[in-house]
Amino acid sequence: MLSRAALLSGQQNRALVALAARTTGTTACNNVAASCDSQVEMTRPVRMEPGKVRMGFIPEEWFNFFYKKTGVTGPYTLGFTLSTYLLSKEIYVLEHEFYSGLSLALMCVVAVKKIGPGLAKYLDKEIDAYETEWNESRVNERQVLEQQIGNEEKMQWSAEGQNMMVQAKRENVALQLEAAYRGRVMTAYQEVKKRLDYQVEIQNIERRIAQRNLIDYVVRRVMSSITPDQDKKNIDKCIADLSSLAKA
Amino acid sequence: MAAKRISQSAINWASLAERVPEHQKNIFIAFKAKHDNYLRRVMANPESAPAIDWAFYKAKVPVAGMVDDFQKQYTALNIPYPPDNVSGQIDTLEKEIKSDIAKFKVESSARIEEYKKQLAHLSSLIPFDQMTMEDYRDAYPEQALDPINRPTFWPHGFEDQLENKDWSKEEEHH
Repeated sequence: MLSRAALLSGQQNRALVALAARTTGTTACNNVAASCDSQVEMTRPVRMEPGKVRMGFIPEEWFNFFYKKTGVTGPYTLGFTLSTYLLSKEIYVLEHEFYSGLSLALMCVVAVKKIGPGLAKYLDKEIDAYETEWNESRVNERQVLEQQIGNEEKMQWSAEGQNMMVQAKRENVALQLEAAYRGRVMTAYQEVKKRLDYQVEIQNIERRIAQRNLIDYVVRRVMSSITPDQDKKNIDKCIADLSSLAKA
Repeated sequence: MAAKRISQSAINWASLAERVPEHQKNIFIAFKAKHDNYLRRVMANPESAPAIDWAFYKAKVPVAGMVDDFQKQYTALNIPYPPDNVSGQIDTLEKEIKSDIAKFKVESSARIEEYKKQLAHLSSLIPFDQMTMEDYRDAYPEQALDPINRPTFWPHGFEDQLENKDWSKEEEHH
């Protein structure tokens, strides 16, 4: 109740007020039970920083208490003069225990200053490891839950894709119909074209055969009409022409 | 019903493929193969037949009136678009799918609510470094120390309780 923490947060005052209210006005409290409760309720205490001290053991509040009247050096002066008075009047006796206490204090200070930080770090590390080990289960559970939520949402999104599948199915049907239609159109076209081309080809073939036959006939007739006499005259003429050409 | 001509795919296959869950990928690939097959068959033929040069044939073919006859019949030819018999099935399928999806969404949302509740419970727990032993009992009732309902054997370690005791290592006390 007298702790620095409670003092600083003023909960003591609130508690006193609540105590006073409860002892003096009972009916009022019964009617507004909710508001009374909120006054009485304390927030859960959490570990705070240790109080500030000077020189290791003198609280800062004592210095602040003196600051208004005597400034910065007030408490030091008080300490010095007080200790001078105590020593000179032998109210504080310097005997054997004092000197052993002094040596012990010196060794403690040296030990804390030298080993303190290292030891504190090591202990903090151990505590942190201990705490993470305890927290692991919570962290894991949170991760698993969040993953499961993500999975569920992904499943919902996937399920919606089925609508697109229906569209794809419709398109498949349309494609099949279209393929059939185009096939029919092409078949009709090709059949007609085949028949017309056939007729045209017949014509071509007939003309070609007639042409060949005619040529054969004409050549045969000409060949047969050449008498041997005419043949000899032709050859002589050819030779004469050749010789005239050679000369020219 | 007016026949709808179609010449290419209007489906966004990439986004559809994204939505397919892992265990249905094979089915999806088979489905896409079918679709590609249909598309190929469509592409094999041109959209409409090329025009026939009637003047050329009229000049060439000697058979009287044959070309004219063909021309008349060909232009009068009207190839019917194949009827669509299965769209009704697709419509019923679509309705089924929609109701299935709605049902699944409801169940899935219920599960998500459950998970969210558990998450909220998790975050409402105070951190371990602020707990007292009483708080631990409030948060984890089954694991807290409870000598009345769940007494433990001395020396109260985990290995000394009956269900965990290793009887093969037990010494014989006389």
